[in-house]
Amino acid sequence: MPVDQHSDPFDASQTDPFEDRLSAALHQAGGTFDTNRAALAAAGAARGRRLRLQRRAAVLGGAASVALAAVGGALLVPWGGSAPPSRATAVGAAPKPSASPSAPADPVSAQQMIETLKKLMPKGTFSQEAGRGTEQDSSRQIAAPYASVVFDDGKGPGAVSLSVSRVQPGTQEAQEASRCPDKVFVPYDACTTKRLDDGSVITVLQGYEYPDRRVDTKLWRAELLTPKGEQVSVMEWNAAGEKDSPISRPEPPLDPEQLTRLASAQEWRTVAAAVPEPPRETPNPGSQTPKLDVHARATLLQLLPEGLDVVGKSSGDDSGFAYAVVDDGKGKSLVQVNVQPNMLDVAGELFGSGSETLSDGTRVAVHQGPGEKSAAGSVMWTVDTMRPDGRRVVISAFNSGTQRDAATRPTPALTIAQLREMALSTHWFRAQGTN
Amino acid sequence: MRQVRAQEYAEFAAARTGQLYRSACLLTAGDTHLAEDLVQETLGRVYLRWGRVSRVGNPAAYAQTVLTRTFLAHKRLRRNTERATDAVPDTADELPDASLRLTLLQALGELPAKDRAVVVLRYWEDRSVQETADVLHASSAAVRTRSVRALARLRGLLGEDIGVYARP
Repeated sequence: MPVDQHSDPFDASQTDPFEDRLSAALHQAGGTFDTNRAALAAAGAARGRRLRLQRRAAVLGGAASVALAAVGGALLVPWGGSAPPSRATAVGAAPKPSASPSAPADPVSAQQMIETLKKLMPKGTFSQEAGRGTEQDSSRQIAAPYASVVFDDGKGPGAVSLSVSRVQPGTQEAQEASRCPDKVFVPYDACTTKRLDDGSVITVLQGYEYPDRRVDTKLWRAELLTPKGEQVSVMEWNAAGEKDSPISRPEPPLDPEQLTRLASAQEWRTVAAAVPEPPRETPNPGSQTPKLDVHARATLLQLLPEGLDVVGKSSGDDSGFAYAVVDDGKGKSLVQVNVQPNMLDVAGELFGSGSETLSDGTRVAVHQGPGEKSAAGSVMWTVDTMRPDGRRVVISAFNSGTQRDAATRPTPALTIAQLREMALSTHWFRAQGTN
Repeated sequence: MRQVRAQEYAEFAAARTGQLYRSACLLTAGDTHLAEDLVQETLGRVYLRWGRVSRVGNPAAYAQTVLTRTFLAHKRLRRNTERATDAVPDTADELPDASLRLTLLQALGELPAKDRAVVVLRYWEDRSVQETADVLHASSAAVRTRSVRALARLRGLLGEDIGVYARP
């Protein structure tokens, strides 16, 4: 299928050293955890026996076992409203069983998915057909239907893949699906978002398979989100496969207009109706409520030295992390900041030899080195600071507008002194009134 | 549970509990108590469905999926109540790579729960984007978005050269 391990655009970065290091670090760190496995396995089996008794009680019992029925429901559709782990308070605090999905419509088979996709495509030939229906199996409790083909309209083959899913309307996930991504993270040529007559939002993004564009395979995507949370994703390439497959035509086979029509076809709504509703999750503007009252983006923008044009910035829904892309007239420069509380326990690692301690106890470390991301000549300057109570502010500046692109200038647009002054500002934590 | 099945389950649990626990420790950013609870709950669910699971599926992958979803369900109920630093065990200091572990867990703890789940599934469990999407009930596009964002965040927190913390 087209969307597999070795065909992931960001994984194309098999060559991204950071991902390799992250994986190695996770394995190194994860491997150090151990516990009394036999005891834990036994406790798990005991939990299982208890759950089974509860389920029987729910099936056999009448009104008296209403509370347990919720558990039984959760087991049939585990993610309809799962019971919390034991430590998570009492049964009364469990999520409402209302999360269990309404009865889904008739299942759709893999073959139907493929046939529907072919029917909705323009005239041409099809090969390498693959798909999955809405049937559930034991390893997948939820349907994730998709269809993919290699399509040829006579001007060269191109892979086309479509998937249908459901998200809770109003959640962060839904919001992300229906807006153009930040160009700092994902490079693209064009991206449009528009609202259709039925209230659906469709985003069409004309981008690339490889974020660093070392091969110019184009990946165009349409993401449709209906007001009910039905989601249709279409991806197409100007190659018969998305990776290690030669470019076979100048552009993917469907233009943005056709992509829009394909994604918004009523047929996919029928498929979506057969996909169970996802677990209910409260809309979460405050999901990452800051542990401190930190507004990293606002503070970053406020503290930037004068004379810099801000040509890009983070979307602002993350309290402890922000970035801005600035230009002093000599080229773009990415500046990013992380604000974290309670970091004293790693102070020793972060502030080793060569670091400085100010009179108020704040520690400061400066790193000036090459950015190791793919681009040649890239430079990353970092000022890391920690207040005596463990609050950390770390600011980095790059000599290009992203961490990924080639250098656009010899050094970042801010000096170490400016980064240092920003990091040491009291404004990051102003709401606390300390420091 | 019939005798043979019970034996099969016991073998499965004996073989997989350690790995599930390690996954859970990364998911919880080092909260080992919560990790034990999550593994217990996961094993309980696997036990309950063992007949079907062992016949048709890949029990190890199924258990990992259950673990991830149990973790996310838990986080939905108890947002922001846990901190990685509360939980790092005392023994950490005795380990040679303690500082790497601490720093990494801190950084993981900064990520939203779902982003953390994406990182653990992709880079610890080596799951594909599509498999990760299936586990999380998300579209592969959403997983890609989360993945990119989480990596950018981790890069900012850990620095490009993660390993530097392993050599104090």
